[in-house]
Amino acid sequence: MDSLQPVLDGFGVVLDPTNLLYCLIGVVIGMLIGVLPGLGPAATIAILLPLTYGVEPVTAIIMLAGIFYGAQYGGTITSVLLRLPGEASSVVTVFDGYVMAKQGRAGTALGIAAIGSFIGGTVSIIGLTFLAPVVAGFALDFGPPEYTALALLGILLVATISGGSKIKALIAAAFGLLLATTGRDIFTGAERFTFGNLGMADGIDFVPIAMGLFGVGEILYNLEERHRAAAVPVKVANVWPSRADLKQSTGAIGRGSVLGFFLGILPGGGATISSMAAYAVEKKRAKDPSRFGRGAVEGVAGPETANNAAATSSFIPLLTLGIPANATMAIIFGALLIQGVTPGPQLIANDPELFWGVVNSMYIGNILLLIMAIPLVGVFVRILRVRGAILAPITALITLLGSYTIRNSMFDVLLVVIFGAVGYLMKKFGFEPGPLVLAFVLGSLLESNLRRSLLVLGGDVGGFFTRPISATLLVIFVVVALWPMVKAAFDRRKSSRHETSDNQEVKENA
Amino acid sequence: MSILVGYLPTPVGEAAVVAGIAEARLRGEELLVVNSVREGALVDAAAASQEDLARIRSRAAEAGIALTLLDSSHRDDLAEEILGLAIKHDVSLIVIGLRQRSQVGKFIMGSHAQRILLQADRPVLAVKAGTRG
Amino acid sequence: MKHKAKGAATETAPGPGGTAAASGAAAGVSGPQGGTDVEAVADEELTPEELAARWEEDAAPPAGPQANFWASLVTLAIGIAAMVLSVQLDLGTPAEPRPGMWPFLVSLVIAVLSVTQLVVGRRGGRDGEKFSKLSWLAAVGFATLLALVALMPLLGFEIPAVLLCFVWMKILGGESWRSSILYSLIIVAAFYAIFILGLQTTIPHLF
Repeated sequence: MDSLQPVLDGFGVVLDPTNLLYCLIGVVIGMLIGVLPGLGPAATIAILLPLTYGVEPVTAIIMLAGIFYGAQYGGTITSVLLRLPGEASSVVTVFDGYVMAKQGRAGTALGIAAIGSFIGGTVSIIGLTFLAPVVAGFALDFGPPEYTALALLGILLVATISGGSKIKALIAAAFGLLLATTGRDIFTGAERFTFGNLGMADGIDFVPIAMGLFGVGEILYNLEERHRAAAVPVKVANVWPSRADLKQSTGAIGRGSVLGFFLGILPGGGATISSMAAYAVEKKRAKDPSRFGRGAVEGVAGPETANNAAATSSFIPLLTLGIPANATMAIIFGALLIQGVTPGPQLIANDPELFWGVVNSMYIGNILLLIMAIPLVGVFVRILRVRGAILAPITALITLLGSYTIRNSMFDVLLVVIFGAVGYLMKKFGFEPGPLVLAFVLGSLLESNLRRSLLVLGGDVGGFFTRPISATLLVIFVVVALWPMVKAAFDRRKSSRHETSDNQEVKENA
Repeated sequence: MSILVGYLPTPVGEAAVVAGIAEARLRGEELLVVNSVREGALVDAAAASQEDLARIRSRAAEAGIALTLLDSSHRDDLAEEILGLAIKHDVSLIVIGLRQRSQVGKFIMGSHAQRILLQADRPVLAVKAGTRG
Repeated sequence: MKHKAKGAATETAPGPGGTAAASGAAAGVSGPQGGTDVEAVADEELTPEELAARWEEDAAPPAGPQANFWASLVTLAIGIAAMVLSVQLDLGTPAEPRPGMWPFLVSLVIAVLSVTQLVVGRRGGRDGEKFSKLSWLAAVGFATLLALVALMPLLGFEIPAVLLCFVWMKILGGESWRSSILYSLIIVAAFYAIFILGLQTTIPHLF
């Protein structure tokens, strides 16, 4: 890093009133949808994409980022007060957080979560500040073959690390790649898969796909809501954690920050896995593990710190390599593309204001989160009283009317509705929509890099393996791809060996 | 035979429980208390907390009444839910709380209590808040 | 409980592994209409494992082998169709790739993976969700969205939006007549104020 000047300039960008306002809006919306059941940060960011058209790229990303890490905290509120996780990354917080609330320590739990989130986020940002330029500098030497291998590996990781059927996730990803090929081929101008439709000539736009798959798809899915019993939220009596609680949590917060930071960088990792890993680590390290599940404050501090740290560090692959680490990052990638910004190693050098503006906005966002965390709890609990039947048409209308405003095109709205159905069906049949969107945004870049690689290598596919970086990446790709099969074969041999030894025992004892 | 009380954690609901306990003692019958929560939201002001339910249990125990707490939810129609439960358990009396409302207020906002009173096929005891048991 | 639904869009929570039996607590799960009555339980003392098990119970049943079969068949068909179309676009050679090469590779992957999934998932798995009676609600929701798209150019957004809100609240959401009509009008009025008067967008509108 040559100088601190760009970093400091970034603060100048953040303190611009418009950017501050959008940061605040993002964090509040993020907390709100983290609290509300039914919509997650990916869906919300997708639905609000039309908002990004009218503002500067920096402003747009500042807001979207705020939504993302704000939602990690919002989910904690319902976990602690209602024993219902608002987000997947707040599931483990329920175990100790709710018990703490029942013991009259709801404020402590929420306060520790807020403080932990703040520290985890800040540590992550500092890590980002130092690590990102290094990674970007390293990646500047990447040629088309390296980028191709990296993109393939990224897609594979995101598809396989997610829960559920890995094969189906890969099919979804491949389908995303296929969708990206519609329209005019950049290299030759030939029209692919347009079926004579003029609307398809330029390919399918990213925004309707994202809004449909994540926005409308989620809304339709939630219409099928099964019985959900309303509960009485625990009253938040004490406001802030005591000094003893803070002291007890320092270790957990420290470990959570580091754990979250590294797990967030890994594509497919992210906030959920970090929170679970942090909980497991805390439980294992504790001198008295039986405290966990009974109101151990580390059981809240660790995971909450980790999920915020991970949410922040998951920006690193996106902003330095141009590889989104999860579905939400993929949507933000798309948002950047709309604005004419191509994320990648050159981003820090070419557009330092954008890069450092976004990164530094996260400091401010985390401060806002900390300030607003407790006071807004009462408001959010009141908002939770609104029945889903009323929220659903509101979100549907926001999505559809918003999608019209992109290009004043009813065709876009129709696309959104159709992809909504696709998203719903995908969920029902077990296909993850995340890998599809991820592969879709990377699709054209991946293809052009692949074709350029083939041109550079003269059609020699083995050339991928002679270059050190792409060779390493492709080897990792193959290992990750084949690992499940190897593991399955191992497990089968182990169980058959057990069977034969059991049979022998039975025969001997007979 | 038993008595069904529709309970809400409000002064009116508390009064209904008090009246229900008194009736149960008089008649020597069992008491069924239902707090039917409306589906669709995570939080509902009408939902009874564990403390509320514990308080009801202790009151019933003091009075020497056999108490059963019914856990139930409804989509939109609380009146129908209560009437259905009354038929299902074949209660001899329904006890509900009645809020002080002007005639205009009742017209615009409707009233579950009014519908229960009008549609019930068995005796209904309507209690106002602050009534002595 | 649908808390997992949100996470699934971004990162799915690897299901909390837990013991199968939830001790002591009687779970009161009711159908779409009315409720079952069960003793109100003091379930505050559920351990994490029991809690996870309870969530697992409440979650929707997985899609099952039939769904897997048909889904894999559909993706296989798409893959093969795309392969055929790609060949028509001219594949070229590795040294000189033509427009059809990349789509062909991708659709080949889709086809191969679909066949794999057909085999691997033939006994069903833990993914997906079975369609239930409640799934009709989603179908009706989808139909109303299509209706909105169809009617908006003709009538402006106000009337179709009011109808959509009303249908969603009354029929899908079980709200009362009064609430549905009232809220529909208020919501669309608010949208009018924000989108037409406030933001001055060019959404087709009647008034």
